[in-house]
Amino acid sequence: MIPNPVTALLIFAGLTLITLTIIWIMKTDTWKLKFRSKDILKTKIEDILKQLYHVEYGGKRATLNAMAGALKIEYSKLVPVIEYMAGSELINVKENAIILTEEGRDYALKIIRIHRLWEKYLSEKTGIHKSEWHQRAEKMEHTLTNEEAELLYRQLGSPRFDPHGDPIPTKTGDIIQTHNQPLCSLKVGDSAKIMHIEDEPAVIYKQLIKEKLHIGQYLKVIKSSENNVTFISEGNQHKLSHIVASNIGVRTLSEEEVFEKEKVRLSALDKGEKAIVVGISKECRGANRRRLMDFGFINGAEIVTEMKSPSGEPKAYLIKNTLIALRDDQADLILIEKVA
Amino acid sequence: MEEDKKFDQLFEYASNLRWKVGDDFHDQLTEGIYSDASSITKRVVHDDQSHKTYHFDRMLDKILTSKKYGFLIMGLVLAIVLWITIEGANVPSGLLDSLLLGTIYPALKNLSLSLGIPWWLDGFLLDGVYMAVAWVIAVMLPPMAIFFPMFTLLEDFGYLPRVAFNLDGLFKRAGAHGKQALTMSMGWGCNAAGVVATRIIDSPRERLIAIITNNFSLCNGRWPTQILIATIFIGAVVPESFSRITSMVAVISIAFLGIFFTFFTSWLLSRTMLKGEVSTFSLELPPYRPPKFWKTLYTSLIDRTIIVLWRAIVFAAPAGAVIWLISNIDIGSLSIASHTINFLDDFGILIGLNGVILLAYVVAIPANEIVIPTILMLTVSHFGVAGFGSGDGVMFELDSYMDTSRVLEAGGWTLLTAINLMLFSLLHNPCSTTIYTIYQETKSWKWTSVASILPIIFGLIVCFLVAQVWRLI
Amino acid sequence: MQKQEMPEACETCALNNQSRLKKLGVNVENTDFVIALAGNPNTGKSTVFNALTGLRQHTGNWAGKTVTRAEGAFQYNDKRFKLIDLPGTYSLLSTSEDEEVARNFILFGRPDVTVIVADASRLERNLNLILQVLEITDKAVLCLNLMDEAKRHGIEIDDRTLAKDLGIPVVPTSARSQKGTAELIKVIYQVASNEIKCKPHRIQNLKKDAKEAINNLTARINQLYPGLPNSRWVAMRLLDGDQRVLDGLKDGSLLS
Repeated sequence: MIPNPVTALLIFAGLTLITLTIIWIMKTDTWKLKFRSKDILKTKIEDILKQLYHVEYGGKRATLNAMAGALKIEYSKLVPVIEYMAGSELINVKENAIILTEEGRDYALKIIRIHRLWEKYLSEKTGIHKSEWHQRAEKMEHTLTNEEAELLYRQLGSPRFDPHGDPIPTKTGDIIQTHNQPLCSLKVGDSAKIMHIEDEPAVIYKQLIKEKLHIGQYLKVIKSSENNVTFISEGNQHKLSHIVASNIGVRTLSEEEVFEKEKVRLSALDKGEKAIVVGISKECRGANRRRLMDFGFINGAEIVTEMKSPSGEPKAYLIKNTLIALRDDQADLILIEKVA
Repeated sequence: MEEDKKFDQLFEYASNLRWKVGDDFHDQLTEGIYSDASSITKRVVHDDQSHKTYHFDRMLDKILTSKKYGFLIMGLVLAIVLWITIEGANVPSGLLDSLLLGTIYPALKNLSLSLGIPWWLDGFLLDGVYMAVAWVIAVMLPPMAIFFPMFTLLEDFGYLPRVAFNLDGLFKRAGAHGKQALTMSMGWGCNAAGVVATRIIDSPRERLIAIITNNFSLCNGRWPTQILIATIFIGAVVPESFSRITSMVAVISIAFLGIFFTFFTSWLLSRTMLKGEVSTFSLELPPYRPPKFWKTLYTSLIDRTIIVLWRAIVFAAPAGAVIWLISNIDIGSLSIASHTINFLDDFGILIGLNGVILLAYVVAIPANEIVIPTILMLTVSHFGVAGFGSGDGVMFELDSYMDTSRVLEAGGWTLLTAINLMLFSLLHNPCSTTIYTIYQETKSWKWTSVASILPIIFGLIVCFLVAQVWRLI
Repeated sequence: MQKQEMPEACETCALNNQSRLKKLGVNVENTDFVIALAGNPNTGKSTVFNALTGLRQHTGNWAGKTVTRAEGAFQYNDKRFKLIDLPGTYSLLSTSEDEEVARNFILFGRPDVTVIVADASRLERNLNLILQVLEITDKAVLCLNLMDEAKRHGIEIDDRTLAKDLGIPVVPTSARSQKGTAELIKVIYQVASNEIKCKPHRIQNLKKDAKEAINNLTARINQLYPGLPNSRWVAMRLLDGDQRVLDGLKDGSLLS
């Protein structure tokens, strides 16, 4: 009556495998997309418009070949879409170069607006990791309507920049011009502030996340060679290859701003050490930021590291007469100056 | 329309101002408030920092959260609380048992006999409903009345936030919140209370994780089952002098397995259905305060014990009715219960349990306390074990371990059945009180179903695997 | 400090305020005044609530204990007071769920008096919330609780200067041992019946730009929505991009 245990285990393993496969198939997007061919054309058009806008914004000329490469679409499949777009007056094709029409540019800006608003939303209102924002926004930009975007814009408190430091276009298609330069263009001894961290391509963005670099950080270049640039910031030293460094946009410091070597992160404050809080990084957002401010993590507040959890994290800090425990990734976003 | 226009005008104006002020207005405002606060404080507060109590609080903190003693003290406190609960509940449980089941029950029976109430009504009300309710009160009330005040005393003293502080590193690795340590330990008293306690976790994702995994904390309704089965079957494997300690170790291992599943499930959820990071982590460590003993006793009794007990009774009453009905309504020559047992038996044996146990768990969803009495009753009536029990549909428990063991062996139990019952008692759906509470707290059918079904899937898989491996060896 | 000793001594005598106090528990019908109880978590807010109403809500040494809104009532000098225990919050600006509940009640519920319970040994941090509440409402009382604990920690507070700085009455209490609650009730009564007039503190240390923006926006709001009672506060919320206050303006619930 009882089946042989080996047979039973084999059947069980088989069933598990089938279940996992089904889950895996359900998760992959290709499966879903097959049933929505109408949406695919819209998505393609919007992706092309966006890419064209970025190329134009970078001051370059877009060719069919370059577009096919950038969007990873086969040339033969791209051509009919481009023809269709030219037909609906979104673009002009002249001597192999593709140029956005006024209408096309507005459309592109609308997509970019939704993309950046959605990233802002994810950063402010959810606990989703920043490495996933871009992917999610890529999907959302094709589904939200203009009205929904406007509602989101109001709910987020009319923001001007997305969490990566890119400007969010307004409803009417205006966009702030930023004057950032790539980090790799700085010379030894230059001080600058990080204004923008590019989230594409994903491989490089992941490296940047690992370096724990944030927007708003002050830095000073101490070494620059043919392949690498080395700089110090917030008590840490970073060495990046030029390819990686070119994805960070910086602005050299104005006259009132100075690079201070003494400004370090709260996570670097050892047990028993005292410090004065300088501020909270821009990277700390939403409810988390406001809660920290409510606790008194404000410029000028005295702080002491009191205890460290036996499981490594968090550490407990005494601030305004209260013990507050913070995890290290939170303490990384609070800047302090140590007091002897 | 005009209202809308007025509003849009204001909104535009405010937006323009916002752009001028910069998007850090919130920071500026908070800084402004704090700078007002600090100038007022400077004038008003005279603080003598060298005061002794500060040193005392800090010293206590250093010990309670130290690498050396932090975990040790936590384990000790936990062990003491559970020991007092289990040992201390024995006497009052026995008293309640003899009062409700030994005195009142026969008296009611006699009364109904003298009034000439038909057997089915008498059976339904007394053997079914009254019995289940009495059982739940006798088994559940004493441990809860001991556990919750102790827990509340620790809470009032300020120790519990330190536990969260100590364990947060581990919870972080599982993608959860340190305060889950609290709701988890609360779950050892009662899962429904544990689920309510998750309100202290202020980020929704982590709170859901804590709610879903709370069932892996072995609750008061399940400790007695674990202890009974471990004593009868596992204690019997080793020489008598070791039997007590062995069965104790077995029960504690099950509790630790529960902790493992808490972490494992949290980890799994935070990587699949509930992706993300802790959105707002904040953990304030309040100053130690001497608790007010009697007040605590009173409030925790009113606030936690009575409410939970009431809910349990409300759910247990219909369960008792169902148990009596399925054992007394016959289809053909067999009762509904026997039909169901026969139907479930093959599957039950495949996963190292049996049909009686599965049926007992289905009808005992309302309250884990009545699982063992139901199993005994069903075994006796289904297998026709002579000399035990008091009739179909009447739950009972036996005073001696020997008798219990004889009944269960007559029902075909082996060591494997015992081990798997212990595992299944840990890993199965939450009781209906807890399910109801989960719905109340989440207001979501989706998460209520996940919280109810996930543990049972784990339970079936674990029992199945253990059974196969057991048979291979 | 002397001021604090007085009511304590009187509490044991027969003619104290308590004799005019009747705790009404959960019987909240037909009340004359509505009192809101706000404060940081873990400041003994629930203990104050229990001391006033005679109820026994559980109080834990643990931030964020009271999550639901509790109601109770008491009677003093023939007036019936309904007391609402709001969730403990660090702030009213951070827009989490419990802060929303607390803020909406102070803003839309228009309580006759808002009692702010503060931890005397952590006054500076508690002031964050106190100053925010004073931006919203004119009628408030500060209950400086846990005085016994502050004393144990060697902290002394000049409550007269504090009352002057904040522009509202300040009552030192130790609600756990019922000290000062009689005085608190009296002061609540006086503020509710306008015997005491409050001149609440307004946030001052702001940057010039921010100040100007607040003033301009307040003026514009007053012009567009005359009669809005907390226009300065609404202006601050709009500058902070608070969608819910915007909604309140749009659907009129802020105006009524």
